[in-house]
Amino acid sequence: MGNPALQTEAVWKVFHQEAEKVRAVRGVTLTIQPGEFVVLAGPSGSGKTTLLNLIGGLTRPTDGRVWVDGLELTRMSSRELARMRLEKLGFIFQSYNLLPVLSALENAEFPLLLRGLERGQREHRVRELFQRTGLAGLEHRRPGKLSGGQQQRVAVIRAVVGEPALVLADEPTANLDSAASDILLTVMEELNRDLGTTFLFATHDSRLMERSRRLIHLVDGQIASDQWQEPRRES
Amino acid sequence: MALPSWWLIGWRNLGRNPRRTFITALGLAAGYFAVIFMVGFADGLKVEMIDNGTGLMTGQIQIHSPRYRPDRSLYETIGGRAGADFEAVIRTVVRDPAVVAAAPRVYGAGLLSSGQSTRGGMLMGIDLDREPRVSRLMNSLWQGRAPAPAAKELMIGTEMARRLELQVGDEVILVAPAADGSMGNDIFRVCGLYRTGMADLDGAFALIPIRSLQRLLALDPERVHEIALSTADPWLAPEAGLRLVGGLAPLGVELEVLDWTGLRPEMLEYALLMDSWYSIVVLIVFSIVLFGVANTMLMSTYERRREFSVMLALGARPHQILLTVVSEATALGWISLVLGVAVTFPLIAWWHHSPIDMSWIYGDLTMLGALIRPVLRVEYNLPVSLWTGLALLLTAVTAGLYPAARAAWLPPADTLSGL
Repeated sequence: MGNPALQTEAVWKVFHQEAEKVRAVRGVTLTIQPGEFVVLAGPSGSGKTTLLNLIGGLTRPTDGRVWVDGLELTRMSSRELARMRLEKLGFIFQSYNLLPVLSALENAEFPLLLRGLERGQREHRVRELFQRTGLAGLEHRRPGKLSGGQQQRVAVIRAVVGEPALVLADEPTANLDSAASDILLTVMEELNRDLGTTFLFATHDSRLMERSRRLIHLVDGQIASDQWQEPRRES
Repeated sequence: MALPSWWLIGWRNLGRNPRRTFITALGLAAGYFAVIFMVGFADGLKVEMIDNGTGLMTGQIQIHSPRYRPDRSLYETIGGRAGADFEAVIRTVVRDPAVVAAAPRVYGAGLLSSGQSTRGGMLMGIDLDREPRVSRLMNSLWQGRAPAPAAKELMIGTEMARRLELQVGDEVILVAPAADGSMGNDIFRVCGLYRTGMADLDGAFALIPIRSLQRLLALDPERVHEIALSTADPWLAPEAGLRLVGGLAPLGVELEVLDWTGLRPEMLEYALLMDSWYSIVVLIVFSIVLFGVANTMLMSTYERRREFSVMLALGARPHQILLTVVSEATALGWISLVLGVAVTFPLIAWWHHSPIDMSWIYGDLTMLGALIRPVLRVEYNLPVSLWTGLALLLTAVTAGLYPAARAAWLPPADTLSGL
């Protein structure tokens, strides 16, 4: 059996705010297998984003260990973390965060540029995903000329184009209306089903929670529940 | 479409806020203009000073007997007391490609008397046909006319005329020690007054036909003290002088060849001082510009820190972010350079060909014994233009380094938090 897409072991993150200690993540132990479609739910301040940052190697845990695709992040240098993020992880943000000076196509293939892939290889992969996600014909538009839903789909392509072990999505539907959210979720479900991409969402969007197969509730930085469920199909 | 390189990303970033880019580029371009203008103007003064300092009287090269200077003895003519075939010397020197013309000169110290007034002065014997091609002294004729060849006529400066209360047409008695041990004296008529604007010159020199002065000083026609040369460009004189030393050797006459850098070393020192001053101007101007551009770049990158954090989160390495911002700064530098060149050179060309004459305010000025017209004549200086262009690009890149470093080492989680 291969490595889990993600494994955490008693991960803690404590912030020091003036004289006060804020325990944002408290001893989270979690394993996600390849191909899972997992939602990390919880109210604001429950530690969802902090946990995603720890898993993404964007911040280091105060204590505990994190493995992505079998690689332990906690021992990595900044340089190794950057390489790991490039090769093993994809990121989707609430505000899309596309680079405004690049076209949709260029944004989507950005991770492949960082990997040093040739233009032909990059375009081949990205154009296929544009087709699959219903964005064909919009490749050369700048983000400012795309709707929010279209921008987020470009962000999804950017996250999955490098075939990462895990895609981390922080509130991906928060800025979208229900129709755009539905389209986006369908796209991600299809990518999960067809390509086997592993998704871990942090959200308090009930639509997203309902469509996940595994729902983890985080309360005060701790896992309050971890349930498998039958996902609701799109309406 | 190919994914842009870091360079192209930087270039495109400049288009996000065209007004800010334009204003920043304008700042750099203004720095470029300021340097080129200041240097060009200083060059103009330098050229004017050297041109007038050598062209008014001295000439760019002088040939004497090696014993003539610095005492300027009446007896130390070219070829010694016997004299020499100075025409052969002139024929030889004018063959040099840098030499435009050559003229013989005779000098004597004497007294000029008129009525109750007597003044000491330098009597300068000139070849009336050749001298105007070597110096501009005769072009400074202010009143009257030039002397007739071999006539007992002279031109004096307006200052000497004022001191001796002389006018054109008046007689003046010249008394001067002659080469035969006697005291030469004769009556000459003032045929013209010259005015150079330099009080020392206008009050000291009397211009006399060379043959007339030779007679007064009891010098044979083949005895001259000096052969003055003009060159196409004063800066050609040092090399031409070296060539002439070799070229004149076969004549078998002991000669000293001096170009203006040896005759007027203070002017050369001033020129060299100016050249080193240019570097200081470049440094000062671009240091001022540097902080302005760095501040703008810092603001620009601060506004985009989220984008840089996203790039870092996606796996970009800090040096790649650094490269993006530096590329942007470099692109800004090139835009500024194009803008600077487009603005600067038409203005420089205009001020070169139609200098603004400030003499109605300042009159003529003298500097290091040379007459300076207060005109804003700006000279072209290609090396300084190239170095300044390079300094502009370096300033832009340097201004981008700190903002680039700030962007490259952003903590992505902190910047992205709450997204």
